[in-house]
Formats: sequence, structure tokens, C-alpha cells
Amino acid sequence: MANPGEDFSQFDISKEEKDKLVAEVIRYILFKTHQNSGCPIKREELSQLVTKNYRHRLLPAYIINEAKDKLSAIFGYELRELQRLRPSSTNQARLSQQSGVDAKSYVIVSQLPAEVYKKYVEDVNTSHLTGFTFVVISIVHLAGGKIAEENLWHHLKRMGLHEADENHPILGNVKQVVETLVQQRYLQKDKVSGPEGTTLFYELAERALDGPVSERIKQYISQIVKKESATVDVL
Amino acid sequence: MAVLNWKHHVLIQSLLERGPLTEKEFHTIFTGITGHNPGTHQGKFNDYLLKINRELSYVQLDLRACRDQYDGQVYYGVVNNVSDEQSKLGTKYSVPQIAFFKAIVLNSLGSQSQDGSPTIPAAFRNFTMSQKEKTLDQLVQDKWLCYTEDDNIGVGVRSILDLRSWFHNAEVPSCEVCNEAGLKAKLCPNEGCIVRIHQYCLNKRFSQRGVIVCPSCDTQWQYQPPKAEPLELEDEATGPMQSQPPTKLTQNQPSLRSRRKRQRVSQNDDAETVGCSSQASQPSSDMRRVTRSSTHLRYGVKSDVFEKRYIPVDL
Repeated sequence: MANPGEDFSQFDISKEEKDKLVAEVIRYILFKTHQNSGCPIKREELSQLVTKNYRHRLLPAYIINEAKDKLSAIFGYELRELQRLRPSSTNQARLSQQSGVDAKSYVIVSQLPAEVYKKYVEDVNTSHLTGFTFVVISIVHLAGGKIAEENLWHHLKRMGLHEADENHPILGNVKQVVETLVQQRYLQKDKVSGPEGTTLFYELAERALDGPVSERIKQYISQIVKKESATVDVL
Repeated sequence: MAVLNWKHHVLIQSLLERGPLTEKEFHTIFTGITGHNPGTHQGKFNDYLLKINRELSYVQLDLRACRDQYDGQVYYGVVNNVSDEQSKLGTKYSVPQIAFFKAIVLNSLGSQSQDGSPTIPAAFRNFTMSQKEKTLDQLVQDKWLCYTEDDNIGVGVRSILDLRSWFHNAEVPSCEVCNEAGLKAKLCPNEGCIVRIHQYCLNKRFSQRGVIVCPSCDTQWQYQPPKAEPLELEDEATGPMQSQPPTKLTQNQPSLRSRRKRQRVSQNDDAETVGCSSQASQPSSDMRRVTRSSTHLRYGVKSDVFEKRYIPVDL
């Protein structure tokens, strides 16, 4: 029983209405996450659930915050906010015109300690995808955060993963899985025009650059390479 | 002050991430995180579940247990209680895939279902064989459907957990003992009597009372206690099958054909069994794996028969 009536009285809704909205937002997050396999959900989509029926300007933010608290209390999930990035090449062009806030999006992340998660919660049927995600992100990371498409496939080929392979025994359509990483915002695509025409680059996107994720990736890479993590950045 | 702690969260998240879990798996998790075995600490276990459900009710979800209709095993899962705009998003299946699933389930309910012919979306008409196979595999993997020992397709644990109200609306008769939908249940030998009871409910009652008497018409039921030893692993070529009226879902294959004939012949003797699979011994998970891989082969062999089975049914 946190704050008493004041919180929602400023919004002119009852406690039941508030609870209903919060529940709707949480359900939306859970079901949508399942449907799109963990692709980030735009803040706009959540706000719309509120503004559909209620007009108070500050209500969406309040409801989303409440939903964040409840998700953590009931499920042990953190509603992690990601700032949507633009690819670095277009960023340069935009520097002169810093528009408003770039779109925020959300993913849910378990708050359980890693060993506990691994022991009881992790679905072993999807670990191959997690493994693949890690491999691809590491390659891009080691390439300095950005890599040409051709180079990426060159490295993947060394592990037996081919761009044209649609029937890999574990991953199926390999190119499709890489596409999924783009949709999940671990990577983003960027077309760069060069002397030979446009080249497609893959760049780390907000999900891979997120603090805790980025840290752990560096740790794992350094474990594999057996050097100190400080030196991993220097490439 | 937080009501639920990380232990509750582990239980909830494990079901959300991994799907429905067997009682054994779920209990193992509980023992692992609390140090207490639910078998010996039933009260504590129930306490946890109660607390979890109180919180989950805020978002109209429920942590529930149910029995697999084919082997009586208990499963736990987190279930959605309310069908609203948000929950309609909660599926990765496309419209034709869902129509396909619905047709299979209604088929397996057979004449028990009052549902008229389902409206068939146009997209379903273009559903190819391989799409149907893929959908079937996915549905089994997600536990909406299951493969049964005699290589039929049965209603899976997920469906039993989630679709309770749907079965009720489709007027599937309930088991007299446990009041859950009697999807795979035995009929009373008295032909005029509509009572039905699950095999595992029969087992329980027999062990309590030593005899089974129909609660409605007082006829005595012939009852066979389950065999103590599991039968040897059966593959599709061998194995005596207790007869079953084969549903439209039975896959066909040269070696199976003789089996089906046997089924049809002895159908009259064992007419009290209803449902879409036979009742063999405790299936081990290995057996399921055997069945699954062999089933894949079968699709290739008799694809035209398969095709006929899955055309949307004018029930």
C-alpha cells in the first residue's frame, strides 16, 4: 500500500481504473514479448494503451512506471529502457540538427542472479540462439563495433555457418537468424556509400550496447582470449 | 514491502520461459530453491503457490496444475484467464495455423463436440502439406498437441491447462470423478448411460474401493488395474494394441494398415473406450521420442492420406 489517493486523484481516475490500466500494460508487454521473441516494444505502443481512453497528459508516464514496479514485484522482470540509436553514418549528418528524444523502447530482463537463472529458468531449447547471438555480437565488437556484411560472413563461414544455408541442422535459415538479431535490436544495418558503391554494414545497436550486456560481453571475450578486458577495446 | 521474493520469481519465470513442466520437474525446482521437498512439506508448497496466485491475479494470470489425459501425469503451468486485446497478441501462430489446430482438436473430440463447422479462413485453403507438417511439429513442441503411443495425435498439456473454458463451451462431457473435461475417458459399459471417467481416476477409485460402480446407473464396470511393469518399448511394427476406434487423425502406413484392421475388428469388444489414443503402459519419454521420429517418416510415405485428413472438416 504505497502512496494513498493523491497519486491518482491528480489524474482523475479511480484506483480500480488505475490498476486495470497497469494490468493491461503488463499483459501487453508479456504477450507481445512472446509473440515477437524479445524484440523491443516501443514506448509509444504502451502510451497508446493509456491514451486510447484517457486524456491526461502525464498519465501514460505514471502508468508505465507503475507497470515497471509491478513487473518487478510480481515476476522479477526488469523493464529495461533502451534508447533507439541511429546508425553512426546517418548520425554524422544529423549532428547539426539534434532533434528531440529518440524513440524509447523496452525489453524485459530477468532480475534473477545468473546462476539461478541458468539452473532453473533457462529454456535449453533456445540456448542455440543465445549462443549464436553472443558469437555474432562478439565478432562485431571485436571489429570495432561495426563490420561489413561480407566480413561478418567470412568469419561465420569459418564456423560452418553460410549465408546461403537455409537448412542448418540447428539454426535453420542462418541468414534469417541474423535478420532476427537486427529485429531484436542487437544489430542494426547501415548502408554506406563508398567508392565501389554502397556497402552494407552491421553495427551494434542499443541492446548490445546496453551497459550490463556490453560489460558481460567484454568479460566473456577476454576470458576466451585470455587477456585483460581493458585491452579488448583497443583494436 | 515486497510480497514475493526471488524464489517465487524463479517458479513463475521457469514456467513462463520453459512452458508447462511436469510435477517432478517443478518439485525439483522448488526443492532446489527452498531446500524443502513439496512431498514432505505440502503446506509450504501450497503456501508458495497461493501467494504467487494472489499476485498473479492482478494481471489475470493463474498458476495452475492439470493432468495429462493420456498418462495421468500432473503438469504445472501459468495460464491466462481472460481473453482480451492483449492476449490475442500472445501467439506466434498465424491465422491458418490456428484454424488447423482448432480443426484437429475438434476432430479429436469427435461426435462429442456440438460445435458446428468452424469458419475457415481463406488463407487456410492454400496451406500446403509441408506447412501443415511444420505447424504440427511446432504445436507438439509447444505442447498444444502431443503424440500418443499409437502414433495418433492427442490433445496436449497446454491445451488442457489453457482451454478449459473452451472445452466447457464446446460441451465436452466431464469426468464424474474429477470434473475436468473427459477428453480421453472411459464410457460406462451400460449403453444408455452417459457417465465417463478418466483411466487415472478409475485407478484411484479402484485402489480405494476395490470395485468400480457407475455413480449414475449402478452398473459394475469391468476394470483392469494398470500393469505393474512397463511394456517393452513399442515401435510401429510390433506391439499388441488395445483397440481404439481410430479417429480421422491416424496416420497410415503399410505396416500400420494391418494394425488398423486389428483395431477395427476388436473395436466392438472394447467399445467403452473413447478418445483418440490407446491405453498402453506408462509411456516413457524415450518412447515418445521414438514415436516422434518415426512419425516424421510416416508423413512422407502416405502424404495423400494425410492430406485428406487435414482438409478443414465440415463437421
